Amino acid sequence: MNADLVRSAPPRVLFGPRRPVDTGAGAPPRFSMLLLVAVAAVLCQATFGHAWSLRGAHVSLLTVLVVWTGLRCGPTTGGWLGLLGGALEDALGGGGADVIGMTLVGFLSGLLSSRFFADSLTAVVAAVAGGTIVRNAVAYAVLEIAYGDRGSYHRIAHATAWEVLLNCTLAALVVLALRWWVDRR
Amino acid sequence: MVAIHSFWDERKLLVFVALIIVAAGVSLLEIDAAKHGRQSVLDVAAGALFTPLQSGLTRVVDAIGTSVHDVVHSGEYAARNQALQDKVNTLAAANARLQGDAAENRDLRRLLAMKQAMAGDALVADVVGYMPEATRREVTIDRGSRDGVHRDSVVVSGDGLVGHVLSTGPHEARVLLVIDPDSNVPAYLQRSRSWGIVTGTWQHAKMKYIDQNARLQTGDIVVTGHGEIYPGGIPIGRVREIDRKDNALYQVAVLDPAVDFHSLVHVLVYTSP
Repeated sequence: MNADLVRSAPPRVLFGPRRPVDTGAGAPPRFSMLLLVAVAAVLCQATFGHAWSLRGAHVSLLTVLVVWTGLRCGPTTGGWLGLLGGALEDALGGGGADVIGMTLVGFLSGLLSSRFFADSLTAVVAAVAGGTIVRNAVAYAVLEIAYGDRGSYHRIAHATAWEVLLNCTLAALVVLALRWWVDRR
Repeated sequence: MVAIHSFWDERKLLVFVALIIVAAGVSLLEIDAAKHGRQSVLDVAAGALFTPLQSGLTRVVDAIGTSVHDVVHSGEYAARNQALQDKVNTLAAANARLQGDAAENRDLRRLLAMKQAMAGDALVADVVGYMPEATRREVTIDRGSRDGVHRDSVVVSGDGLVGHVLSTGPHEARVLLVIDPDSNVPAYLQRSRSWGIVTGTWQHAKMKYIDQNARLQTGDIVVTGHGEIYPGGIPIGRVREIDRKDNALYQVAVLDPAVDFHSLVHVLVYTSP
């Protein structure tokens, strides 16, 4: 894929030069498809998430998907997917804590799309780690503001650390699988 | 002139603000509903739409998981099943042995109680054989003349009278059961003290020569009367039927023997009165 890159003179952005344009990546996935995958991810989490826990943390399929979508499709698509996915999570039991964080994660990941490729293992894993932390921090803040002091900082912080590990592992696997799939095509 | 593109250009800022406002609205909706202990519109819609899906998904995945687990562990299950089957067989054999021991223990306790209730020397014998042709109601016991058993020694079980010794060898003796028609035992009804003679009817026993005026009742207990052979007070059976004819001299009572002669194992032989 790198051979297909056309290194044009990029315009300046806030944190440095834009990434080269990837002309071989093809069209970005359709939003309806992404939304379908997001719904499936949330359903899987809501139905089987308890079976995949590691020291109290659950892998967040939606976080990985939203981060990847943001990197691949930009802040608008990432933000909308985060908004809808987070709203669905809250509707299925989040209590209003997930939607803002997930929207932020989608949007912020989208801002990174101007500087990194969505198939960069390092970029995706780092973005997923950051996204997980941002999402949990916002969720914690919303919970504390909305429901008062719950004294759950240590529990959430501990679970977040393990969730970062789980999500990053999943993200790495997803990127490797996508690379393999693209290479086969 | 070089155009400077800002990170926060207007379009992105607009999208960002819109998204955050919508997200905050959704969040507030959920928080408000949660605080009031009810479901929001989103919760209701999502529940109606996705709960059946989740239910089906759970069932499908559970079924697949169970099947895969069964296939993967089939060898282990077979081995465990065999081990459990072996264990069941061992335990069943042990259980049967214990039940036999318990039954024997009960028999011996009853024998001991009978021995303590009666005077005289007695020894325990095992029933080792029945008459092969069943022409007489006899059993063979594993004690004989060398053990002090002699003709007319009285034989009892824990439940009552078995019979008396007909003949003895050095190591065995033949016992005529009380249900043999040749057996005649002086006896009386414990309640009314009416005397009679108990003789066998092959399957049961009957008490003959009961005074016509004696008042019999079914269930009356019949015990041995002290006589030439038998000591007094050994239970023989209970009255089951009463045969009383006005023109007869005596009444006859059919008895249910106290002893189950089909399951005799241990008996007590009185070697001296």
